[in-house]
Amino acid sequence: MVPGSVTETGATQAAVHAEPAPDLLIRLENIHVSYELADGSRKKVLDGIDLEIRRGEFVSVIGRTGCGKSTLLRLVLGSEQATEGRVLAGGREVARPDRDRGYVPQKYSLFPDKTVIDNITFGPEVEEFSLLTRFRPMFYRRRKEFRAEAMRQLRRMGLHESDATKYPDQLSGGMQQRVAIAQALVMKPKILLMDEAFSALDPGTRAGMQKLIRQVWRETQTTVLFVTHNIAEAIHLGTRIVVLAKDGAESSGSKVALDLPVPGVDEELPKIAERVEAAAGHSRLDEEE
Amino acid sequence: MSVLSISVRPSRITGWVLSWFLFAAGISLYFYTAQRRHKENPDDRVVPTLAQLGAGIYQAAMNPDADEEPAADAASQSALDRFRNGMLWKDTVASARRFIYGLALLFPAVLLGLHMGLFPYFGTFFLRFILFFDKIIALSVLPILFIAFGIDELSKVMLIVIGVTPTIILDTFNLTRSVPPEQIVKGFTLGARDFDVAYRVVLKQIWPRVLNSIRLNLKPLMLFLFAGEMIASTDGLAYRIALLRRHMGMNIIIPYVLWVALLLFLVDLTMRLLNKRLHPWFREA
Repeated sequence: MVPGSVTETGATQAAVHAEPAPDLLIRLENIHVSYELADGSRKKVLDGIDLEIRRGEFVSVIGRTGCGKSTLLRLVLGSEQATEGRVLAGGREVARPDRDRGYVPQKYSLFPDKTVIDNITFGPEVEEFSLLTRFRPMFYRRRKEFRAEAMRQLRRMGLHESDATKYPDQLSGGMQQRVAIAQALVMKPKILLMDEAFSALDPGTRAGMQKLIRQVWRETQTTVLFVTHNIAEAIHLGTRIVVLAKDGAESSGSKVALDLPVPGVDEELPKIAERVEAAAGHSRLDEEE
Repeated sequence: MSVLSISVRPSRITGWVLSWFLFAAGISLYFYTAQRRHKENPDDRVVPTLAQLGAGIYQAAMNPDADEEPAADAASQSALDRFRNGMLWKDTVASARRFIYGLALLFPAVLLGLHMGLFPYFGTFFLRFILFFDKIIALSVLPILFIAFGIDELSKVMLIVIGVTPTIILDTFNLTRSVPPEQIVKGFTLGARDFDVAYRVVLKQIWPRVLNSIRLNLKPLMLFLFAGEMIASTDGLAYRIALLRRHMGMNIIIPYVLWVALLLFLVDLTMRLLNKRLHPWFREA
């Protein structure tokens, strides 16, 4: 699903004050983020971001290093608060991370002390059973069901049953991210937030992961917010691209420089890439940094 | 090739010989010195011979404390009963009891460090005080402890608390803070509540390192325990060493020192093996 119209920075602001669409999932209203520096001055990171994400979208957020892409994701996640403005998820202000928003970071995506299967079942177990109730017989009955579901997710991610008992450090980077996606999806989150999730992978593994996440998105229709600094990846995966960039002065924060749907027609993709490059102020060659 | 090269490794046999060499050299030097001293003075008690050491070990292991009333059926007791009534066993049990109390008190310290590292209000409330508390030289407050708590068990346990727990609290605090924030956020996104994140995500991850920290603090723990026993006690391994010092009982002091080292080594080894067995995922840095 893509937004109804191609919107550039100013156009989204007008839409913010209209009645929320029924399929609206996430709404960022006039978001400003700045940090205090050691000398007492403030560094602006985001400067008046307005953004809406609808159910079923695959939104790729792209921009140069340090433009605030990950900050934007953390705001939606709830692990960071805006200096000004608010983030709404399902009409409620986001105050902290919760089970409605799944998270796949670039690093430390799995619990190192748990096996693959325990990583995947952690969510359902912890949600249903507290520290004390997990000693009840009911826990062991439900645990079997959790493990069966985890195995299904594992197979869907292209992993073998023999991988279930391995610890994260026994898996390759790509396998770890597959497990991390399974771990997040087993909770059936309303939105999956992926922060440079494939950046640390080699090109071959990365291509495989892109194919996988696209397939998972098609099958589950889970909304995805995908932060990347790779233009080709953003265009290949997203149904919509949001480009963050500073306008002019280096001291200013980033704004939404471009917000447009990605057409399904391959011939148009080079044109999209050119527009994204122009808006982001960097070329695909910069991605090799 | 030079042996002082970073890239040269000793062979298995060479490694074995090298690692035992200092033990062999130390033992040889000791008995050589003992023999020479006994040639000059057959009554020398400073460096006992092997026979004197053997007699000392037998006396410590099989005979009760000289101050104790001998049991009426002492002559008919089995070797095991004599060992259990011997001063070595009784002293070991007394010190072990205090050691276990001290060790048990480290676990609340771990929980405090965990909560300080995770919950900002906890951290703000305790950190400055613990940092100050950590700088207090535990032995310097020993007289205060004896005045405040008397000379019984409590003052010795308090000495361990003052001496070791601040280090464990601060170690756990730092370990907690070193857990990547992504892991904590991930916990919340998987439906965990605050205490689930604390106990089921963070504590489980840092636990092997906490055990290592406790293991490395066993020696300070014993140090404070020994200080307490040497100054004010009527039993225990350190009490016996201090008592025998007055009588120059080196034939018993040396076996006692080696016995303490052996016990501590075994506790350390057990903790290391348990840590490895219970946490197969853990790789020491």
